[in-house]
Amino acid sequence: MRKFFAVLKREYFKVVWTKVFILTTLLAPVGMVAVSVIPVLMFSIKGNAVRLAVADVDSQLSGRLAENLSAEKQAEKIRKNADDSLKQINASQEEALKRNAEQFGGSFDVRHFSTVGKTGDEVRNELNRQIAAKEIDSYLIIPPDADAADAKFEFFARNASDFVSKTSIENAVNDAVRLGRLEKVNITSDKLRQINKKVSFSVKSVDERGSVKEGNDFGFFIAFGLAFLLYMTITMYGSAVLGAVVEEKETKIAEILFSSARPFELMMGKLTGVCLAGLTQIGIWVGSAALIAGYTLFAMNSGESLWAVSNITPSVIVYFFVFFLTGFFLYSTIYALIGSMVTTTQEAGQFVLVTVIILMAGLYSVIPIVRDPNSTFSVIISFVPFISPISMPVRIFTETPPFWQIAISLLLNVLTTCAFVWAAARVYRVGMLMYGKRATIPEVWRWIRQG
Amino acid sequence: MIILLLMSEPQVTLRVSEVVKRYGSFTAVDKISLDVKAGRVFGFLGPNGAGKTTTIRMIVGITAPDEGYIELFGERMSAALQDRIGYLPEERGLYKKMKVQEQLRYFAALKSVGQKKADERIDYWLNRMELTDWKTKKAADLSKGMSQKIQFIATVLHDPELVILDEPFSGLDPINVETLLSAIAELKASGKTIIFSTHLMETAERLCDDIILINKSKKVISGTLREVKSSFGKNLVALRCNGGDAVLDDKAMVTSITRHADELELELADGAIAQELLQRLVAAGAVITKFEQIEPSLNDIFIEKVRGANA
Repeated sequence: MRKFFAVLKREYFKVVWTKVFILTTLLAPVGMVAVSVIPVLMFSIKGNAVRLAVADVDSQLSGRLAENLSAEKQAEKIRKNADDSLKQINASQEEALKRNAEQFGGSFDVRHFSTVGKTGDEVRNELNRQIAAKEIDSYLIIPPDADAADAKFEFFARNASDFVSKTSIENAVNDAVRLGRLEKVNITSDKLRQINKKVSFSVKSVDERGSVKEGNDFGFFIAFGLAFLLYMTITMYGSAVLGAVVEEKETKIAEILFSSARPFELMMGKLTGVCLAGLTQIGIWVGSAALIAGYTLFAMNSGESLWAVSNITPSVIVYFFVFFLTGFFLYSTIYALIGSMVTTTQEAGQFVLVTVIILMAGLYSVIPIVRDPNSTFSVIISFVPFISPISMPVRIFTETPPFWQIAISLLLNVLTTCAFVWAAARVYRVGMLMYGKRATIPEVWRWIRQG
Repeated sequence: MIILLLMSEPQVTLRVSEVVKRYGSFTAVDKISLDVKAGRVFGFLGPNGAGKTTTIRMIVGITAPDEGYIELFGERMSAALQDRIGYLPEERGLYKKMKVQEQLRYFAALKSVGQKKADERIDYWLNRMELTDWKTKKAADLSKGMSQKIQFIATVLHDPELVILDEPFSGLDPINVETLLSAIAELKASGKTIIFSTHLMETAERLCDDIILINKSKKVISGTLREVKSSFGKNLVALRCNGGDAVLDDKAMVTSITRHADELELELADGAIAQELLQRLVAAGAVITKFEQIEPSLNDIFIEKVRGANA
């Protein structure tokens, strides 16, 4: 056992004490935050208010346009979008939205430009001159027949690629014209709001004990996220195991090691060390993600704890961890077996591809499972070794199956892992001392049978 | 009397008895037996592919024999005994990205040596091999000769009672060969038993007390270096002289004469004694400037035995 721990220690610190590990571990959470925050920050950077001249016969439409482009109206629009996706918003968040809207799209300085007694060319020439003189930034020509179905609005801007302003103005014009048309048939804006009001569609989930809980889309995303995390860890650390095994073969160090410790101790120490390094990284990531998520929910003050929102109970966490461990260890063992067959990591490519395909199948099985966790497909796929480390936790998460099903799934997985550890140890013992050529499948099969 | 006999007989460190190892239909080692006595340097000789490495792997417990047994320090070979052996394989390497000191600590830990003890011995051996400056360098930065010396240190770091060196000099320059030879002499002086595997006969002749020569999985010849040489039948004399031709023509004395540039190589008849030939030459008035009994070199024995077997 002392030698096992010596190997474990070396393999663990070999992975963990590297710049790459420390950087990826620390930067991944920072990266996740950056991906969500940076676009918002970028969009909110904006220069001065856009000075828009509206060329119109009278000021009826331009007045409505100015109102639509005001900060209040813009904020209302953003709030409505947010309402649709988040369902409920409290007062302090509404304030924040209004502030955002002012920076975001609401900075317009709308002025009326009367076209009375001017030809179209005269209007255009005059406004073009104003743009050139930097008195205005853009102008909009409203046709006299603005309410007609084929009315043509023309928008001119110094910087036509400012799509944020362009979209805001286009929407505002549409709203203003639509309102004008509706008023002609005696529909006021209040009436319109009533007509357009969405129905309230509330989703609740009923668990096996018959109690009703608030339901939402978090479940699917968390299930898929966890499945993806497992997939990612296995592929990343599987190749680390592979590399560690091949390194000892490439540097011809295996024979020295084998004369010092039992191959089984060496292989298990290596596997466990690399797996622990992987768990360290995952632990840091999941921990920080949980902190961020918890903080976000707390800040939103939605009145519900993280547990209630996401269906995550302590038993789900334990199950996830157990399945994660068996899956991780099973695949790492397979990678160690592959590593002792080949002479370089490049040669391992085709074997690795097979495991990646199986893992991908597992990852995509999440979708039918989340849709119907008790279908025949879902039940069977949550028993299949290799795939069950992904599929079973997702089933547990969406609708916890009877305990015996979980136990059988786990047992099958543990047995498969044991079988692979046994086979890998035999291949490792012989394969590590074969230099220069890749072992063929029949050869490997013979090693496993004969030991 | 019995006690005296036991004391005069050196202890057997390693006994390999009727060992057989097969790979499929190929027999890599066929009924090889050998005894390695404590404190001696034992030469394990044979051409490439003779079964040397396979035998050594069984001795150090990497593989198990299909037949026969191996006894080390009077016990059957087991994983627990591995800590008392130091093995420098022919195919050897270092972790490229690991620093020399960490690397040696790791190898020591795998031989159950604590870190404090390991550090002392690492410092001693790095100094002995003139590599102290390289202690914190990565193995990838070392030259081939330096790596070889580090590998040697890894072999002897845990103070093993039996040291097995498989082609330890391959790829070394003459200066490093001398450094290593003196380290091996130091090990021998401190009472270690050394098994030295090679196909370089000159080095073997210089180092070994006892030898075994194997070829095509089988033992060809074994014994002390002296026994092997004297058992290798030919009775040759190198001679440089004027006169005494009548004595040389006596077929009862000399069966054949080979002429070299300025001397003769005589093969004496069975039962003829070199001393008698010398006396008769002197009596015949020959002027002798050189008279030397030629021992067959290990190289000659090797070539003759291996070629004879392969013919």
